[in-house]
Amino acid sequence: MNQTLDRRRLLATAALGGVVGATGLGSLAPEAAFAAEPATIEPGAPDPNFAEGRISRISGSMLLVTGSDTVLHSIRITDGTSIWKLHPTTFDKVTVGDGLYARGVRLPDGTLAADSVWLNIVNLHGHIAAVGRNVLHLDHQGRRIVAHVVPDRSAAVYNGTPAVSDLSLLRVGRHVQVLGAWHPDTNEIDIATVYAAA
Amino acid sequence: MAALRGEVSWFCCGSAWGPCGTAGGGACGTCSSGNYQHAWPNTSDACLAITRPDRCGVTGMTRRGCGFRHYTTNLCNGARVGTTIADCGPQTDLFCGERTCCGSACGSNRIIDLTPAAYSAIASLSAGLRPCSVDTV
Repeated sequence: MNQTLDRRRLLATAALGGVVGATGLGSLAPEAAFAAEPATIEPGAPDPNFAEGRISRISGSMLLVTGSDTVLHSIRITDGTSIWKLHPTTFDKVTVGDGLYARGVRLPDGTLAADSVWLNIVNLHGHIAAVGRNVLHLDHQGRRIVAHVVPDRSAAVYNGTPAVSDLSLLRVGRHVQVLGAWHPDTNEIDIATVYAAA
Repeated sequence: MAALRGEVSWFCCGSAWGPCGTAGGGACGTCSSGNYQHAWPNTSDACLAITRPDRCGVTGMTRRGCGFRHYTTNLCNGARVGTTIADCGPQTDLFCGERTCCGSACGSNRIIDLTPAAYSAIASLSAGLRPCSVDTV
């Protein structure tokens, strides 16, 4: 049996167990986990093992998600699911209304047994329009985004140098890429990492 | 095209929530976050005039149109994904000289953006930038 099938069986077992908490699946370092699952989807095609949308209901360890294209998804959080919400977090931080991207294994009943769930994650490009105390105002596709600096979390990468917590080198007019977490139903985000050119 | 080494990031497109809601279907009109698709800096003269990889010294970026297949390898873990062109981007010249490494595996300059579905097949979305190589076979 190849590695993908082994992985599918493990995920399915974890999903059927339906327990959220200590890992029974075991965990893999993120890069190793992605390396372990070869992509077999036809280029250009939708990936059945991926889902996006907003959480409309939480029932036990199941997330009911309405896709932006109105498709409904049932996403099972398993023992081995990694959850990100600005930083790695736990199931109790998941709330109705969160946006998400999820990757896992589609089970025969259509449920997605999630390997990874990224809540409210955004990866935006924009120009810095203003800098305030612990906040950046960004022009993003003609709209204003308010990006909050989160103490002990937000970091800056200046032209590929290692990430640092000092965001003071960011200047009005500079182009930046901001990886962060959206505050649902607002134009505000929390900054995880801001990438700035030299 | 010989394999091109650089940086890969991700972008949202199509129907979407939050700030991505205004992204639309991209330059090709077909882009969707859930599909294995990508943005390429040289899809047309108009596209190249925006992205300007030449300003960063990036050569070998062949003109390719909507639907063309590229294969991106994450140099951090060797994972590979095949995608088709659905948009123009990234804007390479805004980050000229930027360098991303995993140990000794490095890539300089942004050469491709993947949709969330494609990027998450080879890396975590929370790692917004990865060194990569891109080829056509």
